[in-house]
Amino acid sequence: MRTTRHTDRGLTLAAGLAIGLYLVFLVLPLLLSLRSSLTNENPLRGTSDFIGLRNYTELAGDERLRASVTFTLVLAAGVTVAANALGVGFALLLNRTSLSYRVMRTLAFLPQVLSGVIVAFVWQTVLTQNGLLNNVLVRVGLLDEPFPWLGSPNAALISIGVVVTWVLSGFTTVVYLAALQNIPLELHDMASIDGVRGTQRFRKVTWPMIAPGTTISVTISLITVLKLYDIIAVLTGGGPAESTQSTALYIVKLAFTSDRVGYASAAAMILLALSALIALTVTGFLRRREVTL
Amino acid sequence: MIRKPLLAAGLAGLLAFTAACAGGEDSGDKDGQTTLTYLVFETPSLTAKFWDESIAAAVAETPGVTIEKIVAPSTDRDAYAKQLQQSGQFPDLLQSITPSNFAGAGLLKAYDKAWIDANFLLPSANTLKGEVYIPPTNSQIVPQVYYRKSLFAKAGVAAAPKNWAEFLAACDRLKAAGITPIELGGADPFAAGMPLVGIVSADILGKNPNWLQDRYAGKVSFSDPDMVTAVGKYRTLVAGGYFDKGALGVKYADSITRFTGGKSAMYPMGSWFLGSVPKENAGDFGSFPWPTDDGSVVVPFVGGGSMAISAKAESTKLAEDFGRAWSLNPANLKALIETDGAFPMIKGKALDDYQVTVSQVFKDSYAYVTEENNKVSAIAWATNDDALPPGVNDAFYAAGQALFTGDDVAGELKKLDEAWTTATR
Repeated sequence: MRTTRHTDRGLTLAAGLAIGLYLVFLVLPLLLSLRSSLTNENPLRGTSDFIGLRNYTELAGDERLRASVTFTLVLAAGVTVAANALGVGFALLLNRTSLSYRVMRTLAFLPQVLSGVIVAFVWQTVLTQNGLLNNVLVRVGLLDEPFPWLGSPNAALISIGVVVTWVLSGFTTVVYLAALQNIPLELHDMASIDGVRGTQRFRKVTWPMIAPGTTISVTISLITVLKLYDIIAVLTGGGPAESTQSTALYIVKLAFTSDRVGYASAAAMILLALSALIALTVTGFLRRREVTL
Repeated sequence: MIRKPLLAAGLAGLLAFTAACAGGEDSGDKDGQTTLTYLVFETPSLTAKFWDESIAAAVAETPGVTIEKIVAPSTDRDAYAKQLQQSGQFPDLLQSITPSNFAGAGLLKAYDKAWIDANFLLPSANTLKGEVYIPPTNSQIVPQVYYRKSLFAKAGVAAAPKNWAEFLAACDRLKAAGITPIELGGADPFAAGMPLVGIVSADILGKNPNWLQDRYAGKVSFSDPDMVTAVGKYRTLVAGGYFDKGALGVKYADSITRFTGGKSAMYPMGSWFLGSVPKENAGDFGSFPWPTDDGSVVVPFVGGGSMAISAKAESTKLAEDFGRAWSLNPANLKALIETDGAFPMIKGKALDDYQVTVSQVFKDSYAYVTEENNKVSAIAWATNDDALPPGVNDAFYAAGQALFTGDDVAGELKKLDEAWTTATR
């Protein structure tokens, strides 16, 4: 009896702390940002005026926001597909129990552990005009002259996509590995008895059984890219000519370069709504798929 | 059911946690000392050692002051200072910020004018609405065109170009000789915008030094025909193939090593490049002003300087005393001259008085500062009344990148007008 009461108290305390932290560090900033989005708040001035929905009506015609959202969505779609395809592939390759595979699994997860800023600096040394990649390609004769991997809008988009995919593939690999290890061996045995092998077994047994993992992996990949800031800020700074400016990067520039915190908060609210809409839609779709499969 | 004592304990814990997070604001007196926070930035030239030594020297001349150094995470100290202000941690002293970004909000305290007049060659170089928020200890030319004499000779270019036609002819000859005529660190927006700064400063502000004030007054715009013609010159350079095709992928730091390594013949850059001229072959480097159509000399000029003082500093008097001591310390200027190519502007001191070792190209460049000539504000770099409104600098640099890949000059200039309108609304 006494133990139960103690456990209850402990749980209540833990729950209270968790709810408190959630309120202080998530709900409160969100509400403050919402309030800010209805004002002309400037980081340099102590006061701000309530301006209603004016920031939101201005955002509707903001071509730079539209360009940043388009870029972010294209990047999110491409990276999510690529990172998840790689994740499934690596997970299938690494789904063994020997020591060497365990070491390789750790290596596969490494990009996820590194800070985005560090990753971006490392890739910058690879992708710049004088970088490692151009040096190698020119020396082996595959290129006559260095290619601007970060210096043209399309190439920069692809380069960023590759870097973010590399980072996320560590996470997706681990998720899919966990999903693969949850598939009962009996199912594979039955499939073998029925003569189902190779790609057919993957399609009929493995793929349906890792559906819950797919839901988690795809949703988190999407959300990660939709709010991406650090890697782009270091790798291209949003350039050339703002062609790789993610919405998060645009929001920070609005707030601390253009001094428009209120307007930036409104843009952040739009990004939040967009991310929530996409995440809920995709999760809903994938959950329904889990049931169907 | 949540018991009240538990809830109270949880909330108390949270409050303690948030209080701990908010700690560290105390900059009050300790043993009669006043602690002032000082925002600086580090570069390969302005190292942590430089800041620590210069702070120690100024502290020694300012009894009662202790300095807490804050290092900006990038060279964009304006944006970082705004973040600090937003979080209630605006520094007491701010090195080399753009005062126009902060003075309007009443965040800065002006220096005593009599002291400024008494100590500096161009007291009005940093004047903002009649006040000086940063002592004009040094100045810069942004940009000058630096060139390699050996590459010019190899391509058969006899002398530095004196006008636009000669400049284009030199580019043609260099290109024909297989040499990249102009270096551009296009991956960094400020460096990508450098030719545009040169063109607009020389062709537009050279003819109308009040152009930026006229733009504030709405008398002129970026979409005006003379501006379209001038900016069209940048497209001429791009279309002529005078830059490396992949220049937008070249980082600023790499552009320096490419130019000093002999991979390109000319480099339009701020005079801080002089600090990067290799000592072993400094004689191979020359400089000339950005060329104009008629060959008239226009010098895009920026009054550099030391630190601004927060109007909210615990002791603005001690902060100003520290700022004065730092600004007049010849050792600081010596380091800035040698490593950052700064042109000293302290009254009564010649270059030799700083006991510096500088190259001939530094002396030749400095001559444009000391001579009587047509000095105009360098657009997008000026820190005085001619500073651009917040955010327009970024738009200007982005236009430099956009015009490298596209030829819609009128469209890009229209965007600048729109950015200006938004920023000044």
